[in-house]
Amino acid sequence: MKGNKKKNILIKSGRVIDPQHGKEFVSDIYIKDGIISKVGENISIKEDDDIVKINAENCIVSPGFVDMHVHLRDPGFEDEETIETGALAAVKGGITTVACMPNTRPVIDSQSLVKYVLEKSLESACTVLPVAAMTAGLEGKHITEMGLLAETGAIGFSDDGNSVNDSRLMYEIMRYSTQFDLLLILHEEDSLMSGEGLIHEGYFSTILGLEGISSLSDDLMIARDITLARRSGARIHITHLSTKGGVEMVRKAKEEGVRITCDITPHHLFFNDSSLTSFNTNFKVKPPIRSEEDRLALIEGIKEGVIDAIASDHAPHLDTEKNTTFKLASFGTISLETLFGASFSKLYIEEKISLPKLISLITISPARILGIDAGKIEVGKVANITVIDTEKEEEIKRENIVSKSKNSVFIGQKLKGKVICTISKGKLVYRSE
Amino acid sequence: MLRRKSITDTESLSLEDIELILSNADSFLEVSRRDVKKVPTLRGKTIVNLFFEPSTRTRTSFEIAAKRLSADLINFSSSGSSIKKGESIIDTLKTMLSMKVDLVVIRHSDSGVIKLIDRFINVPVINAGDGKHQHPTQALLDLYTIRKKFGKFEGLKVAIIGDFINSRVARSNVNLFEKMGMEVTIVSPTMLLPEDFSKMNVRHRIDDVIEESDIIYILRMQFERQNRRFYPSIMEYNRFLSLDSRRLRKMKPGSIIMHPGPVNRGIEITDEVMDATGNFGGKIIINEQVTYGVAVRMALLYLILG
Repeated sequence: MKGNKKKNILIKSGRVIDPQHGKEFVSDIYIKDGIISKVGENISIKEDDDIVKINAENCIVSPGFVDMHVHLRDPGFEDEETIETGALAAVKGGITTVACMPNTRPVIDSQSLVKYVLEKSLESACTVLPVAAMTAGLEGKHITEMGLLAETGAIGFSDDGNSVNDSRLMYEIMRYSTQFDLLLILHEEDSLMSGEGLIHEGYFSTILGLEGISSLSDDLMIARDITLARRSGARIHITHLSTKGGVEMVRKAKEEGVRITCDITPHHLFFNDSSLTSFNTNFKVKPPIRSEEDRLALIEGIKEGVIDAIASDHAPHLDTEKNTTFKLASFGTISLETLFGASFSKLYIEEKISLPKLISLITISPARILGIDAGKIEVGKVANITVIDTEKEEEIKRENIVSKSKNSVFIGQKLKGKVICTISKGKLVYRSE
Repeated sequence: MLRRKSITDTESLSLEDIELILSNADSFLEVSRRDVKKVPTLRGKTIVNLFFEPSTRTRTSFEIAAKRLSADLINFSSSGSSIKKGESIIDTLKTMLSMKVDLVVIRHSDSGVIKLIDRFINVPVINAGDGKHQHPTQALLDLYTIRKKFGKFEGLKVAIIGDFINSRVARSNVNLFEKMGMEVTIVSPTMLLPEDFSKMNVRHRIDDVIEESDIIYILRMQFERQNRRFYPSIMEYNRFLSLDSRRLRKMKPGSIIMHPGPVNRGIEITDEVMDATGNFGGKIIINEQVTYGVAVRMALLYLILG
């Protein structure tokens, strides 16, 4: 993709969503040399060979989505996904910026690995921002060179997949992060409480005979980290929040002025633990798909503004890791390609949440948390734009998945709202047939 | 014939299915009482006993059932620990099926494994116990035993006592017993129950149910299987949950004691009770459960393959 001249693009008659100001209006957008050069009605451009016209009538035109939690498995697990294939899956889902988690092999805990991701990002269909580990090797023992890593380009810090069990160490990580005003992205799990658990502990874990993961596992760690953040002044972001108790604690912490934000995944929004009766291992995720009561609390949290973002937690796994017994299967579902459809189907169609509000959760709001200039459509800026046909309904099929891994919890689901084209870094990188 | 070809759990069995199985068991019980205990019903059929977890009773029961019906039965055992990640259970099964097998009986230590297998293969499968999930043939033989003893189900009071959370027998039986109109009470300590048991009929002491129950169903207390949900000790268990002779004598006339076996003597049932004779000794029908188990499994094999 390097080097070739960017074609000029004219998006006609789309319903433009401006999540920054909570507005929507019908407009054309002209992109010249990759830069948004005009936004307005009836833009007419002298036809030239290079222009790409996109008829966006009856479509919405959104800033490219920002997904602050993905696993691209690169380096180390390239049979599951690579930065390149993950980026292709992202743009199919309308996502133009992703923050990738450091649980690769080797772990992204050194400057050279941060640079590796940034270099790969340049060649990829979307912008890929590395999240670096908080502790070396994600072992929860030694703090990483957080200052240097941030200078090199780490967008945030996380030991995603684990919590740092040593409370003293976590407290010191938080204190140190304030020195540079770093973002800490926290996977909240008390591993002694969750233990060998496989699914949400409740009625369905009981009847299915599968080990449960109590919501206490998340809640205990959230309570600890809020306590530490209150004392240290650190900026923390609770990722893939899944429990009712968690929503309540984040709400209270925000009221108290703790510097806290949080995201939820589309699958925690979409499903409850009754889906586990199929023993479909794609539903084996962490944190687990929780009860209907928890799911409703997440939706309420979105309506009240407690929840700041929707992030995919895209977690690719090979068939051999999923076509096995529930106990042996790996945790995780892919979800880049379905991020919008799942969120739109639940939040807009079912819950009547406004489009600018919904769009802000996957654009401007996560961009602000990450501290990046993204998630808006502005004249003079490099174009990152997604066009969506909101009327189109599509059944998710395995054969249409772009991601290298096919472990999607949404296979067989009909989702409304189909991304029809994505412009990333000023280029048209995806267009559906 | 059965509406369903695979027996995965008790939930999916209809009342008609259950009635069909129980009534057929009657005729196969008669075969087991003959001098020549064999009928040619399933001659030429091949059944594989695929046991990924150790078992003596269930495996033998299926073997005897198959042989009394003249089917060829092959035992395949593999200890749970040797089936690791990378060694696909699906591949193992497909290998078996390439040898043209008509039915597979499976036991495995992981819950839900039968549903996995049912997705990938197209011969009938009987669940002989999957993890902590289900053990439907045990539940059916228990049901048959109860019918032989009481001649009815409606209104019978059953107390299921012991380790509920780790027990596939409990899960299958509660479902089936309630389906047949019995009143089920679970007697179990908090750490062996789900976190929220508010919708279940739960007691914590055997003394709370011993006098009023028609059936005292005692589960095997598997101290070795509990990883983190520790029950304090055997002494504590004896105090609140074991069936001892004092409690045995409080049981009402006509009531019975069941157990899926094997019994941990001295833990869930004392030696005294196990070896009791006379009126009270007659309440223990654990060996009859085993006898009826063969008849019920013969009925199942016949209804699926016959």
